[in-house]
Amino acid sequence: MANERNLSLKKELIIDTDVHLQIKPDEIAKWIDEPFKSIMTKGHIGNPLPDSGWDRSMAGKIEKRLITGPEDIQEKLCEEFHIDHPIINSFGKVGKASMSRLAVALARGYNDLVLEKYLDDYPHFYGQITVAMQDPEAAAEEIYRMGDEKQYIGVFIDNTGPNPPLGDPRYDVVYRAAEDKGLPIAYHAYDSGFIVDFPRQNAGVETFFAVHVLTHPYAHFLTMTSLFEHGVPEKFPDLKFVFLEGGVTWLPYMMYRLNKVHSIRRFDAPMLKKTPEEYIRDQFYISTQPVGEPNNQEDMRKIMEVIGFDRMMFSSDYPHFDFDHPEGLEKFLRVNIPAKDRKKVLSGNAKEVYGI
Amino acid sequence: MSDHIVADVSEIGDGERILVELKGREVGVFYLDGEYYAFANWCAHQGGPWCEGTLTGTFEGEFNRDTLEYRLNWVKEGKILNCPWHGWEYDVKTGVCLSRRSVKLPSYPVRVEDNKIIVTL
Ligand code: FES
Repeated sequence: MANERNLSLKKELIIDTDVHLQIKPDEIAKWIDEPFKSIMTKGHIGNPLPDSGWDRSMAGKIEKRLITGPEDIQEKLCEEFHIDHPIINSFGKVGKASMSRLAVALARGYNDLVLEKYLDDYPHFYGQITVAMQDPEAAAEEIYRMGDEKQYIGVFIDNTGPNPPLGDPRYDVVYRAAEDKGLPIAYHAYDSGFIVDFPRQNAGVETFFAVHVLTHPYAHFLTMTSLFEHGVPEKFPDLKFVFLEGGVTWLPYMMYRLNKVHSIRRFDAPMLKKTPEEYIRDQFYISTQPVGEPNNQEDMRKIMEVIGFDRMMFSSDYPHFDFDHPEGLEKFLRVNIPAKDRKKVLSGNAKEVYGI
Repeated sequence: MSDHIVADVSEIGDGERILVELKGREVGVFYLDGEYYAFANWCAHQGGPWCEGTLTGTFEGEFNRDTLEYRLNWVKEGKILNCPWHGWEYDVKTGVCLSRRSVKLPSYPVRVEDNKIIVTL
């Protein structure tokens, strides 16, 4: 029924910076070598990649949506939602795999799978290279291995799981590789990783409401703070950093808080030569979903103006339970802001950041 | 406004619904506790097909300030329509959204004549 409804979407060029797949253990097993293949298929307790078991569906109230092949993306996102270029990000659970050897094998296998199964036959699809930060050297190697593939346009990092946090100097080898290859780094948290990074909170809260509200901002707060603590954007001035699935409204809070604390405690983060805000306004980007829902829409316009229309990139997060249909944002932008800014958010910024 | 025969009464059992297209609009017609309800299949959140969602119960919170008794009661079984896209809950008898009480989905008058269900729209 929804086919003919999004007429104004049809006219817009839309890049979706966050599309997900569900890859089952026996599917990924076909793309990896022994003994990892058997670890994925012969386990005694089901999927070896941990999940925290929270109820996503609200006892079945929310339908289960799956993307199981490129035709699903084509049909659902490209045809029904009028997305011109989906960017596939996935396999977030790599960040939680308990054996780093397994994580490295999975990341490689996943990247091969996406390339062959999703990108080769669909030239308008793009993907980001998944890396396992448990082994930074191997992650860098993977970026060099895949970095010349035209449809791989960024590096995807699950930022719920890596320990220490992602600004630590041990990861510099990964950031250097991404900068060498001209690929932005994109961070994406997973609710399934909340239990890893925030185990006390996970044990203390009562519902997925709390887990989901907190996962993405907590993870992004931690990652962003760590990047500034160690001066990563100063060390790699040509690197771009993308924060996915946190919505947009968290950014001003962090930007000004980082400014404030840095002004007082420059001593603790001496690599930085500028205020955090200057780095953010130059090298950092955020994806829009899940766009916050103020009761007064005017508030969203004001916050977006503070952030700046150069920093935001549309994302749907399809098929996850809080995906954003592009129609809502497109309509909001069309009514509230100038056309040139709307186009930046829907595709222009992503084109520039990812070189599409 | 015109009348549209959408089904025979025998076609929608208690707690069931049908989806029909009237004047190019998708409409869900529900039968619940002896009453018919008709709504546009268009969720106020992001336009999802809410009439296709599950009908379930929901939780209601209860708090007594004096005793500090705090209870979550599972209520209205079969009377809450859940939009399949993101789970916004609506009272199917009124179209009122449970999390945003000012949101009420537009409904259409339904009546029965000679065992035919008629929606006016
Ligand atoms: S569209 Fe109905 S809940 Fe989002």
